[in-house]
Amino acid sequence: MANPEPILKATGLSARYGHVEALKSVDMHVEEAELVAVLGPNGAGKSTLLRAIMGLVETGGTVHFRGKALPRHDTVAVASQGIILVPEGRGIFGPMSVAENLQLGAYRLQGGKGEYERRQARVFELFPRLKERLSQVAGSMSGGEQQMLAIGRALMADPKILLLDEPSLGLAPRVMTEILEKLRVLNEQGLPIVLVEQKAPLALKLARRAYLLSLGRIVAAIDPREVQSHDELARYYFA
Amino acid sequence: MGDLSFVLQILVSGLGVGCVYGLIGIGFCVIYNASGIVNFAQGAFVMLGGMITHALLQRAGLPLPLAAAISIVLVAALGVVVERVVVRPLWNRQATMFVMILATLAAQIVIERLTLIVAGDQPRTLPVFTDLPPIRIGTIAIGYQFLWIVGGSLTIVTLLALFFRMTNTGKAMRACAINREAASLLGIPVSRMLALSFALSAALGAIAGILITPTQYTAFNVGVPFAISGFIAAIVGGFGRPFGAFLGGLMLGLVQAIAVVSLGAGLKNVAALSVLLVFLFFRPSGLLGTSK
Repeated sequence: MANPEPILKATGLSARYGHVEALKSVDMHVEEAELVAVLGPNGAGKSTLLRAIMGLVETGGTVHFRGKALPRHDTVAVASQGIILVPEGRGIFGPMSVAENLQLGAYRLQGGKGEYERRQARVFELFPRLKERLSQVAGSMSGGEQQMLAIGRALMADPKILLLDEPSLGLAPRVMTEILEKLRVLNEQGLPIVLVEQKAPLALKLARRAYLLSLGRIVAAIDPREVQSHDELARYYFA
Repeated sequence: MGDLSFVLQILVSGLGVGCVYGLIGIGFCVIYNASGIVNFAQGAFVMLGGMITHALLQRAGLPLPLAAAISIVLVAALGVVVERVVVRPLWNRQATMFVMILATLAAQIVIERLTLIVAGDQPRTLPVFTDLPPIRIGTIAIGYQFLWIVGGSLTIVTLLALFFRMTNTGKAMRACAINREAASLLGIPVSRMLALSFALSAALGAIAGILITPTQYTAFNVGVPFAISGFIAAIVGGFGRPFGAFLGGLMLGLVQAIAVVSLGAGLKNVAALSVLLVFLFFRPSGLLGTSK
């Protein structure tokens, strides 16, 4: 069932903030066109796992992307390979316009205008509201629209794999569902996604596989089809 | 009537100096926005702008525009050297902001002393750019150098605004100022942006130094007073806001000019520092509010 070579593979990945070890020798992988959820309670190290992949924290272990080791401590180099993280809190450039935010997403675009417009059309197709708001100051939009912009901006970078850190945080349930639905569409188009979520039931609806993190370790690999009820999920959390 | 024209004359000269303070203040903002560092080597760039232009003009016999252009490029390159040699190693070791700011102060002292060793302690000056008698409007005389300073500064400010609004690199620099981490996550080369901000800021300092030198003089030790004035201009404008820094510079120049006339030349710096204190007490976010 598993492909011979996962697109992303972390081996013995650990991370520390000062003297605190937030991630302890984690092994995980993502296969082509797969949506993998990373679940766990607050403080389990979910965000740290994504930050470690991006080289934003001091890490040990290795991360391989398409079979090649990624540089450590060089976020720009990691991002340049098409590994794009939509960070917790979205990280949009608030004082700048929606259009400028999207342009910055395509900062590394080498090709000409045609490729830029192709990417932009894809973003507008997914989030038509961004097209209406192109000239608006990004920081003045609603939380949901900002999250759409953050994802849209990431798509402008033409990601080969998309990492999302709690995209549902602070959003109304309806908006949350809308955004997760877009992620499903993107994944069906073949984009591998790693989705970090505290709201496990939502993520499990989309994911093909899930990792459960606790205290910086992966404590379970979950097959969403086997988790039919909240009780079963709770068993994983408290096992 | 005579009094009024005297006051106007003073205001004109205050505006000229204010433009220069404004350019230096913008230099502070550009680096601060890119890195959070307050670069106290800024004064050295102002001093070197005038000194190198003078050397190229007198020693190498180059025409003034060429001497000025080469000087600006050399100082911009020195800005990158300061970033690579002084700031970058500390940055990579995750030194605290305080340490990096102190390091720029050290760089200021090193550059100042090296200039003293190489060029001596004699003050120099540059010829005015346009050697014509001043324009008279009523009883007020407006020198051509004043026009060069104001025109040059406004041109630079306009070009900078266009650069930050219209170009990809300018937008990327603003993005780094707003959220450096988010910028790096999009593959924007944040470290190159930092080097670029030092180059830009150093070039601004050099231009300021070249514009002002014909009306005053330059020497190895003029950097610190200019840096302090530019720093005050940046704070008054709301630190991190280039346009605010320019307004702050104009205001500071005017206040100093008025203080010199009404209170005496000895109180020029008292006036400048008073402006700083008034803003820190009553409006610490500056004229336009801080950028963060």
